[in-house]
Amino acid sequence: MEIDIYNKYKKLGRGNWGKDLIMWKAMYTGLLTRFKEEEFTPFVEFFLNLFLDLPKARREGKPIIMHPFNYGPELFHAMGIEPLMQEIFSVGLAPFHLNEPYIDYTNKIGYGDNPTLCNAQRPLIGTYLQGAAPIPDLLFFLSTPCNSLAMTYQVFHNLTDVPMFNMDVPYWLYDEQYETSEFYDEKTMDYMVKQVKDLKNWLEKMTNQNLDIEKFQETMKLVNEAREYVVEFNELLKTVPCPVESLVGFGNFLVMVTKGGTTDAVNATKYLRDLAAENVKEGIAGVPDEKLRIMWPYTHVFFDQDLFPFLQEEFQANVIMDILGYYQVLPHDVSTIEKCYESLAKGTLDFSMIGTCRGPIEYYIEYILNFVKEYKIDAVCMPMQFACKHAYTMARVASEAIREQLGIPVLIFGCDPYDSREVPLEAIRQRISDFITQVVL
Amino acid sequence: MAIMEGFNKALPLSNPYINDWKNEGKKVLGYFCSYIPEELMYAADILPIRVRARTCADTPMADAYMTPTTCSYTRCCLELANRKQYNFLDGIISCNCCDQVRRLYDNIRYKAPFPYHYIMGVPGYVSDTTIDWFKHELKKLKLNLENNFEAKISDEKLYDSIGVYNKSRTLLKELYLLRKHDNPPITGTETMNILSAGVSIPRQQFNKLLTQQLSEFKGKAGISDYKSRIMLVGSMLDEPEYIQVIEDLGGLVVTDSLCLGTRYFWDLVEVGKNPIDSLAERYLSKISCPRMTDGHPQRVQFLIDLIKEFRVDGVIFQRMKFCALWWAEIFMLRDNLKEEGVPFLDLEREYILSGAGAMKTRVQTFMEIMESR
Ligand code: SF4
Ligand code: SF4
Repeated sequence: MEIDIYNKYKKLGRGNWGKDLIMWKAMYTGLLTRFKEEEFTPFVEFFLNLFLDLPKARREGKPIIMHPFNYGPELFHAMGIEPLMQEIFSVGLAPFHLNEPYIDYTNKIGYGDNPTLCNAQRPLIGTYLQGAAPIPDLLFFLSTPCNSLAMTYQVFHNLTDVPMFNMDVPYWLYDEQYETSEFYDEKTMDYMVKQVKDLKNWLEKMTNQNLDIEKFQETMKLVNEAREYVVEFNELLKTVPCPVESLVGFGNFLVMVTKGGTTDAVNATKYLRDLAAENVKEGIAGVPDEKLRIMWPYTHVFFDQDLFPFLQEEFQANVIMDILGYYQVLPHDVSTIEKCYESLAKGTLDFSMIGTCRGPIEYYIEYILNFVKEYKIDAVCMPMQFACKHAYTMARVASEAIREQLGIPVLIFGCDPYDSREVPLEAIRQRISDFITQVVL
Repeated sequence: MAIMEGFNKALPLSNPYINDWKNEGKKVLGYFCSYIPEELMYAADILPIRVRARTCADTPMADAYMTPTTCSYTRCCLELANRKQYNFLDGIISCNCCDQVRRLYDNIRYKAPFPYHYIMGVPGYVSDTTIDWFKHELKKLKLNLENNFEAKISDEKLYDSIGVYNKSRTLLKELYLLRKHDNPPITGTETMNILSAGVSIPRQQFNKLLTQQLSEFKGKAGISDYKSRIMLVGSMLDEPEYIQVIEDLGGLVVTDSLCLGTRYFWDLVEVGKNPIDSLAERYLSKISCPRMTDGHPQRVQFLIDLIKEFRVDGVIFQRMKFCALWWAEIFMLRDNLKEEGVPFLDLEREYILSGAGAMKTRVQTFMEIMESR
């Protein structure tokens, strides 16, 4: 049976995907080979389909929109536009050191350096100029969380002339004198809803089609279904010991940010929820003899895929959650089209890393403090990307708040999650090991 | 020359003008970016001072909190705040002009607090929707100032304040027009002294000084012993010494696109309509910096127009180290300048001039390239 599925995907991957999708195809082939010996769960199938969707869209003449890691794609799916989350390149290539030549090339042509512009997006410029990144039909990005992302998208637009849409996420500071809610007020919602409508109008114009309202509502319902599973899954992570191993929560994020609004997403999130629920029922721990529960309120060290397995084996430490996997979008209200727009606007404000970063530092501190308490966390680990100015500059003050208010130890260190040459794998593992043995245990 | 001394007195962080203002029992607020309308503070009888950090020599505390890979302007500001060098300020107003400035606000509140803090949201592009939001933000700021400083910012006071600031803008433009001459009566270094004073002293006094200075310049013999006409482009520069290095090598800085330069004063605030609306429209739609994601084509045009009007021989990008906004912007501008056949030099710098020797060598070579054309 499994071999049948494997053969099915092998067949689907055949053929010429186009020169600019060579890297994309290599990632697909690598994944398929890796999964050959494993069970083809709905989560694995989600992944494989994700890679197949792009060449398929090309074949079918479907427009492709490139977007960053902090926007739910439901509107794109509803309009039959293929979303391409651009960081799949930088994250997917990092473990194989395949970002590095493109980073070097980007350096050579003079587009930034690592501490200035983040390598989550920056290598895209070199990759594109060397013909190894696909040119989308449309570009979309948001002003939050960082300048680095917004600038690289503009540079890409400048080089390619691909039409671009920027959504401005307002800086939000709750002020009880004027505002009605801690997270949104009427004005903020109005601002975001207008921009969601502007985006919709722009997409309609660019793709020469109208949004099918029923399809939009159906897509939003599918997001709700998947979201429900993600929320249940996140609740299950509170169990001690944690029912799944490190990184599984990140899987939910990948699903929602790439395929939110599709049945693939519903199946994958349901699978992960069922897995966690079954393990809780059976008393199975994701990390046998779990000793340590770590919170990771930032992105992973993407080039070291074995970091979490290493921590699991060495210290029976489970990294319960990272900043992206902690999906906090509220259910979409699909009762009317207006409510759909409002929900989409609210979902944008609450999306991973936007909700925590679109205002003053208290948003970030509160998020960590609540998570630490609710998920019974023993230690916090922040591997900060050197170029991530908005986050790195919060780390120290946040760590002091965590230590003072909860007495929980915090480790902060700088690195480049996309380039192993900056701070090598061994140094990072050593740093975390020292922290665990000397401070936490 | 005596008038110039009036400007020079404003170069230190705290200066006699600020002291006089405070001696009258009035408040002083520091602000962080040219997207914050000074008019609102001035209308509340509060002196708005652009936060500068000229005396900063090292940043150990700020390196620990802001990290060593943020721009040195923001680190210097945190360091000096922590060393109580801004004790003359009654508070600060910041905005989300860039990631580093918005987090500087957080670090200041936690590690070097002032009696008053405020941060406002500035949208990242211009449209009816964003201008409308910005009007709302300005109303919030106005209310906040009124509540915290027991002031009433009436429309009349705002009109007056807008008038005073527009007057400055007009005078500064007049000053820049003099720099178009073959033999301009003023150097770039002197201009920087004036610009820095503009954001550090009460505006009416500044206007008076500048009016006198302009009439003095009009009778002055111009500068002719320079090799090339230079335009400076980049972010926060308030150090005349930096420009002095270029001018000592024979380059005369004749114009700029800097936070304290043309981008600060080029556009007037429209009078005759609701003052908050006028402020919102002017501040959001003025000649932008790279924080505005839709402004690149407009910025290119502005640069090219200035290059032609001021007959610029070469452009020096003074790019603050670790600034994402300006690196990307300059990366794009390079191609525009190449197309126009304008030579340029990309000079990475720290906020406080360091490595003047290396800078001299590069500027010298740049001068030679321009001369050989
Ligand atoms: S890691 Fe930081 S700098 Fe990099 S893309 Fe994410 S938010 Fe931006
Ligand atoms: S130089 Fe750049 S990073 Fe520094 S404050 Fe200015 S815009 Fe922000």
